[in-house]
Amino acid sequence: MKLSRRGFLHIAGASAGAGLLARPGAAFASEAVPGADERAMLVDTTRCKGCRACEAACSEANGNPPPDRGEDVLDTNRKTSQTAFTVVNRGPNGPGGARRYAKTQCMHCVAPGCASACPVKALQKQPEGPVTYDPSKCMGCRYCMVACPFGVPKYEYEALAPRVRKCTFCFDRQKAGKAPACSSVCPTGALTFGRREDLLEEAKKRVYGQPDRYERHVYGELEAGGTNWLYLADVSFAKLGLPQNVEKQSYPDLVKGALGAPPFVMTLWPPLLMGLYTFAHRREKVAKDGEHGAHGAHGKKEERHG
Amino acid sequence: MLTHDFLSMYPAKQAEYALAISYMLAFIGWWRFVNGGKRAEAELRLEHAEPAKATAAAAAAEQPWFSIPANVWLHPGHTWARAAEDGTVAVGLDDFAHKLVGPVEKVALPKPGAPVGQGVPAVVLASSGKSVPMLSPVDGVVSEVNEELVSDPTLLSNPYVQGWLFKVRPARLRANERQLLGGERARVFLDEAAAALAAKVSPELGHVLQDGGSPVSGIAQELEPEKWDALARSFFLTEEA
Amino acid sequence: MASPAFADVPRSFFQEKILLGMTPREYLRSLVTPGNALVAVILCVGLPLMVYRFAAGLGATTNLSQTAPWGIWIGFDMMTGIVLAAGGFTLATTVHLFGLHDFHPIVRPALLTAFLGYVMAIVGLIADLGRPWNMVYVFVRHGTPSALFEIAWCVVLYSSVLFLEFLLPTFEWLGLKRFRSVLLKIMLPLTILSVVFSSMHQSALGSLFIMAPGKLHPLWYTPWIFIFFFISAVMAGISMVIVEASLSHKAFMSRIHHHFDLAKLQYGLARGGAIVFFAYFFLKLQGVIDMHAWGYLWSGWGAWFAVEMLGFVLLPAILYAVGARNMNVKLVRLGGALGVIGIALNRLNVSVIAFNWNLPSAQRYVPSWMEVAVSLTLVVLGVTLFRFCVNRMPIMSEHPDYAGSEY
Repeated sequence: MKLSRRGFLHIAGASAGAGLLARPGAAFASEAVPGADERAMLVDTTRCKGCRACEAACSEANGNPPPDRGEDVLDTNRKTSQTAFTVVNRGPNGPGGARRYAKTQCMHCVAPGCASACPVKALQKQPEGPVTYDPSKCMGCRYCMVACPFGVPKYEYEALAPRVRKCTFCFDRQKAGKAPACSSVCPTGALTFGRREDLLEEAKKRVYGQPDRYERHVYGELEAGGTNWLYLADVSFAKLGLPQNVEKQSYPDLVKGALGAPPFVMTLWPPLLMGLYTFAHRREKVAKDGEHGAHGAHGKKEERHG
Repeated sequence: MLTHDFLSMYPAKQAEYALAISYMLAFIGWWRFVNGGKRAEAELRLEHAEPAKATAAAAAAEQPWFSIPANVWLHPGHTWARAAEDGTVAVGLDDFAHKLVGPVEKVALPKPGAPVGQGVPAVVLASSGKSVPMLSPVDGVVSEVNEELVSDPTLLSNPYVQGWLFKVRPARLRANERQLLGGERARVFLDEAAAALAAKVSPELGHVLQDGGSPVSGIAQELEPEKWDALARSFFLTEEA
Repeated sequence: MASPAFADVPRSFFQEKILLGMTPREYLRSLVTPGNALVAVILCVGLPLMVYRFAAGLGATTNLSQTAPWGIWIGFDMMTGIVLAAGGFTLATTVHLFGLHDFHPIVRPALLTAFLGYVMAIVGLIADLGRPWNMVYVFVRHGTPSALFEIAWCVVLYSSVLFLEFLLPTFEWLGLKRFRSVLLKIMLPLTILSVVFSSMHQSALGSLFIMAPGKLHPLWYTPWIFIFFFISAVMAGISMVIVEASLSHKAFMSRIHHHFDLAKLQYGLARGGAIVFFAYFFLKLQGVIDMHAWGYLWSGWGAWFAVEMLGFVLLPAILYAVGARNMNVKLVRLGGALGVIGIALNRLNVSVIAFNWNLPSAQRYVPSWMEVAVSLTLVVLGVTLFRFCVNRMPIMSEHPDYAGSEY
């Protein structure tokens, strides 16, 4: 039943393959492990006045065109773009009646999906915290855009040598010992730059210290397995435009199981397939030998009987 | 989201197992269904075979027109293959072919060492200025050629023994066998070929052939004096493109 | 095969091999057919468009956006192209590893289809990349955690294997006997490698989407998607071979020198296909339960999922089974066509249709006419190259000098 073998073997192979692998993407929240000295930013939206000085400083530091200073800019919800690495959007009113604002930019995840997705290491997680981009290595596959749950990377589709564009966390300034451009001009202290550990502690201190004021959650503590941009708020994070459908585990972790398969295949397939080959061809060989062997045996018998 | 509340895992896992068990049960039935039904044997459709109209042949067919011995496998192009004890395969043309073409002036055989392919033309029969190729029934390399036949083509009148054409060291005999007809199927095949011929033949001529009476210069030449080679080629599956 | 009337006229190697024995003028005249006219029209639109894409950039030619970074050049040209080329390794396994030599007559056309499929997929990929000149960095800077890293390497390696396998009929055609006998020695290792590489990248194309749980609809998203992609690659291979063999057998009848019962082989393939399609159907349902996504089955997307599953997985399985049982080759071929469309539909669903399902329709991606034209051009180019090779090389039939060879 030659074809039964075929179908069976295909399924058996797949089942064996599936069974060998641990369930990919475990169903529990896992926090990725940040570096010891990793730098982060705490965004306390209760302190933000919506002055957008951070936007202006960011554009200047990155050679982008200055942001539109019109009165009505905050009336629409904006996203970052090829020429605007950060935007401040207006949110709902806070409990006290004052308007709330939220700054969005790259979250510089502890275990970034974009960097793990990049096949040429154009996007790299630096031990100091920022996720940096090197256009000279980028081949423009745009997988980083697929992988990022925050929708951060933006692409220069109009250019002939397009680049991915996003917040750099002012890596150059950080290496020179300075704070990022945005936090260094923030007048209200909404943006605090420091070590992630310290900032997380500070964030929790504020939340527990004033439980009536803050939402009991630090956005970025667990989202995507932990990000380096942490948010506090006294309105719902959803209303501030921070994505709610982000997994609570790191995105590279999601694909780890499936990517464990190729080495297994390289290891298991050759012996399995060669075994198949030997088995399939032995039957033919035995059949041929049988045709000769039977005659041979008869021949011998006749000899013996004389 | 990939995380779910703990309690919903219970019914979900239950459903997964239930589905898997149902699938395994269904698989038994599906497997049997898929592997059942008609099995395609190596049958070839003869475009001109009209068995239903074989009145003349049927009436006269107490004795079949064309014979075939038991241990011979037939190729739909009317050549045969017979495996020998030493692993070689003898090849020849069958009774139908020889009676269709009649006495042959010259037989062109492949050289020893030449490769032959199943379904690939290997020999050419030439007579009265026309030539008819015939297909090899197996794949392999020619090991021996019937020299006596080359000098004396009348040996073809004993198509299964003295009229062998050449011997082959087969390359893929078991696979080739699936395209060949043996035993009862070969019998049926020859009967159908006979019926196809009978559809072209008048009853009187049919009687003459059956009696094995006066030698006929080949049924094909009787039916189509000008284009007998095309008629023969149509049966031997070597029609010109 | 040379026409006997001209046997005495000496012809150059080029004339013999490339122009099919005709003079240049005769050859050009022979090219004027309605089919070729259509091909010419499509190529005359598509080839300049491809040049334009490189001259004017992606923004000018595609409808890609910041929320839809991948369009049909990835979803169709690359992903569907690669999966429909799976017939190569599937059939090579059947014949050379499982030892089912009955299928020998259809292996070479399947391998040629696979080779040309991969070439066209790579061309499509290069058209889609923003900075294709940096492709070499994948081989130098190893972004190993990326599924795309694995895909890039495996596609390149597998294309090389396919190219080497393609060299066999090429050497036979050019009469390079020595090269051929050297190549024959490595055909078995090449076959093994073709299965290894194919398994890896066919599944990795699915792994790409595991990092996008928020973007791919739950009925299609599952961490097991890489297994589904591998199984459906086998399904695509079987179906595509059935379809391609039917079309080639009819179109290139004159190139088939020995008769073989194609229908019988297709029944064999159909029986295998019926089993795999059946298993895959249940596998997909398991995936839905595993993701706790059964609630979505009753939505509009659920209906679309049902169309893919019932019309293009279950129905082909039934057509294959009934067709093989009753020796009804029409049903088998219909099953093949539905199977091919179904796998293409699955790849498009995962990459562009059910991707970003939760975005408002104003932001959803729809391909531009230029993207469609380029994709069509690549398909037509592939078919044209297929015809070119088949008309000259021992693909549909064995070369008489090498009759009976295993490969």
